[in-house]
Amino acid sequence: MLKNKVLFKVVDIFYLALIIVPFILGMALNVVTKPLADGIEITGARIFWQIDFPVQPLVITESQVNSWLVVIAITGLCLFLTHGIKAAGKITVRQHIAEFIVEKAKNLVVTNMGEYFEGFAPFIAAVLGLSAFSSLSSLTGMFPPTSDINVVSGWAIVVFILITYYKLKCGPVHYVKTLCSPVLLTPLNVISEVATPVSMAFRHYGNVLSGLVISILVSTGLSGLSKTLLGWLPGILGEIPFLQIGLPAVLSVYFDLFSGCLQAFIFAMLTMLYVSGGFPAEEYFKRKNKKKQKSIGGN
Amino acid sequence: MQSLEVISLNIWQVLISLCNLLLLFLILKKFLFKPVKKVLKQRQDILDEQYSKAQGALSDATKAKQEWEEKISTADATADKIIDDATKTAKTASEKIIADAKSDAEGIVRHAKMNAELEKQKAADDIKREIVDVSYALSEQLLGREISKDDHKQLIDSFIENIGEANDGE
Repeated sequence: MLKNKVLFKVVDIFYLALIIVPFILGMALNVVTKPLADGIEITGARIFWQIDFPVQPLVITESQVNSWLVVIAITGLCLFLTHGIKAAGKITVRQHIAEFIVEKAKNLVVTNMGEYFEGFAPFIAAVLGLSAFSSLSSLTGMFPPTSDINVVSGWAIVVFILITYYKLKCGPVHYVKTLCSPVLLTPLNVISEVATPVSMAFRHYGNVLSGLVISILVSTGLSGLSKTLLGWLPGILGEIPFLQIGLPAVLSVYFDLFSGCLQAFIFAMLTMLYVSGGFPAEEYFKRKNKKKQKSIGGN
Repeated sequence: MQSLEVISLNIWQVLISLCNLLLLFLILKKFLFKPVKKVLKQRQDILDEQYSKAQGALSDATKAKQEWEEKISTADATADKIIDDATKTAKTASEKIIADAKSDAEGIVRHAKMNAELEKQKAADDIKREIVDVSYALSEQLLGREISKDDHKQLIDSFIENIGEANDGE
């Protein structure tokens, strides 16, 4: 009994470490590899590793490493929340949280997509979690993976594949028919089909990156302003950028916390709306019923 | 250290991040949704079981209550019957007692009357005898001779009888 309790605690600590260590690692990596920059320098993710591959070299960058760290942290969180989960008896706070997350994700998906898409709940939760935690990882000073267009376009491609898959549920003929429904608008329909993932990727990435750029600009600008205004102060006091205190924090609250979570929510919402909107539910169920009746009649 | 341009596409990177999302989807499904759903289903099962148990207990209780009510009502009837019987027996007993008492009283009264009659008769006889004796003594004195006692008695008797008749006649 006591041994079990100790084992439970040990596993708990391991899971907690799984949540926290990735962020510490990310920060450490940032501190070790980031060159001391002077003035304004806005670049993409730093490349850690480069392997020659066909078409383009395979690069392992900061954004990839950071998203892996986020995935590990979320895995740790899941394991921690569902550790010692039980059906009866006293329910712990973490179990409440786990049940709350699952129920909320399910409700969100069912209200936005309908009962048929209930299995989408884990996917939407993954999109939300990965996006939100990636954006929030910039709070620790890490490079937010969502400000890299490669990362977000990867997600958008997954969404595009899902949309097309559900549009093709009624067969390619029906798909082409809906694409050419007013014949004159066919090119526009094709363009809008392609534009969907592109717009999703650009919206998300642009929002996070612009927040980052504005933060850097304001912070360096304030440092310059501080130097010119308060440079006359004697000794080390003149070196301290006093004006940098305060305003960057407020901007960070908006761009990192609010905008990060909002963009994650928008991405998830758009995924749900596009997938369920593209799915020809009426036609699909009509055909299904017909098939069922046929099979019943055949038997 | 090299870094990417701010806007630069690399298909391998896109592919990696695509795989990341799918990986996280699988992780969430396996480590969060599956256990929680399992537990929720178990809890639902337990609730259903308890509900059916409670339903069974409720129906049992209703049945027992019905039985009890039935028993109570029959008990009422039995009690009524017992009371009825008791009253009936008591009534007959009291009637019998009253009748006995009445007949006893009548007997006593009759007895008393008879006694009284007898006494009266006796008194009348006594008076008669007294009168006879007195009249005998008187007439002996008056006549100065002895008359036969029997004759005399006859005479007086007839006389008293006449008086009595005269009295009765009045």
